[in-house]
Order: sequence, then structure tokens, then C-alpha cells
Amino acid sequence: MKDMMQLRFTFALGLAVTGLAMAQGPRGGDFEFMHARFGMDKVVKGAPYSAQAVTQHTQTLADGNHIQTSTTASVARDSEGRSRREVTVAGIGALAGSSQAPKSVFIHDPVAGASYILEPATQTAHQTQMHQRSTSTESSTETAHAQHSGQRAHSRTDATTVDLGTQVMSGLTVQGKQITHTIPAGQVGNEKPLQSVTEIWYSEDLKTIVMSKTTDPRGGQTVYQLTNITRAEPDAALFQVPAGYKVTEGGGRGMRGPQ
Amino acid sequence: MNEIDPRLLEGLRALASDGLREAPVSVETRLLGELRKRRKVARRNLWIALGSGTLAAAIAIAMLLGSRPAPGVVTPASAVQESAQADDDSMDDFYRLPDTDYLPPMESAMVVRVQLPVSSLRLMGLPVSEEQAGDSVQADVLLGQDGLARGVRLVE
Repeated sequence: MKDMMQLRFTFALGLAVTGLAMAQGPRGGDFEFMHARFGMDKVVKGAPYSAQAVTQHTQTLADGNHIQTSTTASVARDSEGRSRREVTVAGIGALAGSSQAPKSVFIHDPVAGASYILEPATQTAHQTQMHQRSTSTESSTETAHAQHSGQRAHSRTDATTVDLGTQVMSGLTVQGKQITHTIPAGQVGNEKPLQSVTEIWYSEDLKTIVMSKTTDPRGGQTVYQLTNITRAEPDAALFQVPAGYKVTEGGGRGMRGPQ
Repeated sequence: MNEIDPRLLEGLRALASDGLREAPVSVETRLLGELRKRRKVARRNLWIALGSGTLAAAIAIAMLLGSRPAPGVVTPASAVQESAQADDDSMDDFYRLPDTDYLPPMESAMVVRVQLPVSSLRLMGLPVSEEQAGDSVQADVLLGQDGLARGVRLVE
């Protein structure tokens, strides 16, 4: 049924990003946030930290005008691999939300084998039991590192990866790389080749991306950066459901399937 | 003009009085052989027609399936996916957005449900026909830690 829904879309040619589309969203925005449904996190043990994750999106319009959105999330991870992300989904890339979305808190607890989505506005915690496919630091790290080292990109002939060396960011040594992906002329109706460039700065100490920058002529530029990084063990209470919250099984609303 | 030629009439009467005439055995054999040959050709043509129809239908179905968005291709960060997966939710039916191979790997993923105009899917890189651009749709969007969408699943 869901596939049929997908089939109903006629995938016509063209990836036009139009100002008209921007103006047709619900209540003036591009989308209306309904609720969080699900969250996942990479499990990394022995590398605790807490930080602010800032995402800034900039889009330059044809007339030279700019649209800028910024989202800040609070993130934390303890030594056991538990993680927490507290975020307000105000935008999705170039899409802007139509109204003030409520704050959502994603807690992933691999020790207890459970994940939670907290809704502070309703004092509700939606719990999901998790499969533990791999909780070892090594396997997760290896996979992340494999991705970081650009193996996927190398496997495609239309992308090139350049090693940017090391830098120090927010007190951490980070390794950088730049992936340039070229869409040949005519592939998506484009008159000339399109180039998207992604820059990734990865910390081996934290086993995480500290900064990434993605520039695409169709969608604009997105910069993600961890700031105010603290490597102390975060408060254990951050990874627990606060007292007074009503816990419901089954994750976020409608977790068992589209409604 | 409508009168019958007396000589022809006489000939016909003579033929009628001569009784039933049969074709020689050799002619009958040849005729039956020809009929069987034609029946075989007709049967072969029928099978060819049926086979061609089936093949055409199979090709059409294959093309239809091949052109649909491939479900299950969303690999929300192998690292994330390997670490944990919800029992209740499946990532298999998300449509992978174009060119997400080159985005930073997802270390953290969120799925949020949103209501959005179909035209907005263009901004995620999905080609949408003009006919459907004005419609509104509910969708689950798979977001990376950087807030960029990696996949989408239509709800209604």
C-alpha cells in the first residue's frame, strides 16, 4: 500500500527548485511538523561528551536574496554509549517549517535496550525496544570510519574525494575530507554539469563528525557544527525519562505504521 | 440474360444423373496433408501470439517495477543502522532521496512526521509532476544529525 502511494508519484524529469514551491506550503511554510516518530544513534562507548549541534542552512535565490535558517540541538553521550539529542525541527534542509515546532528529545539507551522520544509539552515518553545488532565500539566505529574514509564515494566514478588533512576544531583534532559529486549535463535536465561539495571533519577521539558543510546549487549550503564541546561525563539524568512523565510503549505516535 | 444456356443445362443434368463423384485418393491425401499443415501453422502462430503477449506483459510489469522508487534502499547510516533498530518501525519502505550518497554519514537519525505540499518534495530532490504539485501529503522524513533529509516515506 505504501509502495502504491509512492507509485502514485509520477517521477517526471527535472529537479527544479522554485520559489513557487516555497510559497505553497501549509500556513506559509514548506511543511508543518506533526510529531517525532523515531530516533537512532550510533553506539560509541568510552567517549563521553556533550555539546551544542548547530545547523545553519543558507539558500541563495535567483535574485540574489538569501534565506537563512538555524537550528540548535543539545547532544550528549555517556561512557556506556547512551545518547540524547534534544531538538526543535524548524527546518529540513531548504524546507522551512510553518510554525513553531515543539521540542523533541530522543534518548537512546543501548544498555537498557530501549529508546525514548520525550514530548515535554505533554510530559509523555514514547518507548521503543531496540534490537541490538552491534553494541561494540569497534564495529560501529569501523563502519563510521569506513564511511568517513570515503569508500562509498570512491566506488562511484562521478565523485572525487580529497584529503583535507588535520585541523583543531573546538579543542579536538579532526581529520577532513572533501567529496565532490558531479552530475553530468542533461542527467536531471541540467544544461551544464552540477557540482555538490561535501566537507566532513571527523574526530577520532569522539568518534563523531565535528563539522560538515554541504553545498549544492539546488538546495543551498548546510553547515553542521558541534560547539561548546565538553568531554566530561554528562549527568546520568539526561538519559532517563524524567519523573512525572507518562511512558507509553511503541515509540512515537503511530510507530506501528503509517496512518 | 437470366435464361440458362440450353447446352449448359443439358450438361448439368448429365452430371447429376452420373451420381456422386469423389476426388481421387491421391488428391484427398494431398488435400488433407495441406489442411494439417495449415492447422499446425495456425496453432504455432497462436502460441507465438500468446507467447508474445505474455512476454510483452512481463516486460511491462518489469519496467513498471523497475521505474518505481526502490524501497529499502535507504541505508540510514550503516553505523546507526547497525547499532540499533526499532522493533516497531521499519526503514525498509523509505524512499532514498537522490544524491544522498554524498552527504555526511548519518551518525544520528530522526524520523519526523510532517504535512507538506507535494511541491515541497522537489526541494528534497524528488521530481514531482505538475499535476500533483498542488496536493498536500503526510510523510515521514528521515533526517540526519545535520537536519538534511535522507529518505522519505509517504503516509497518505
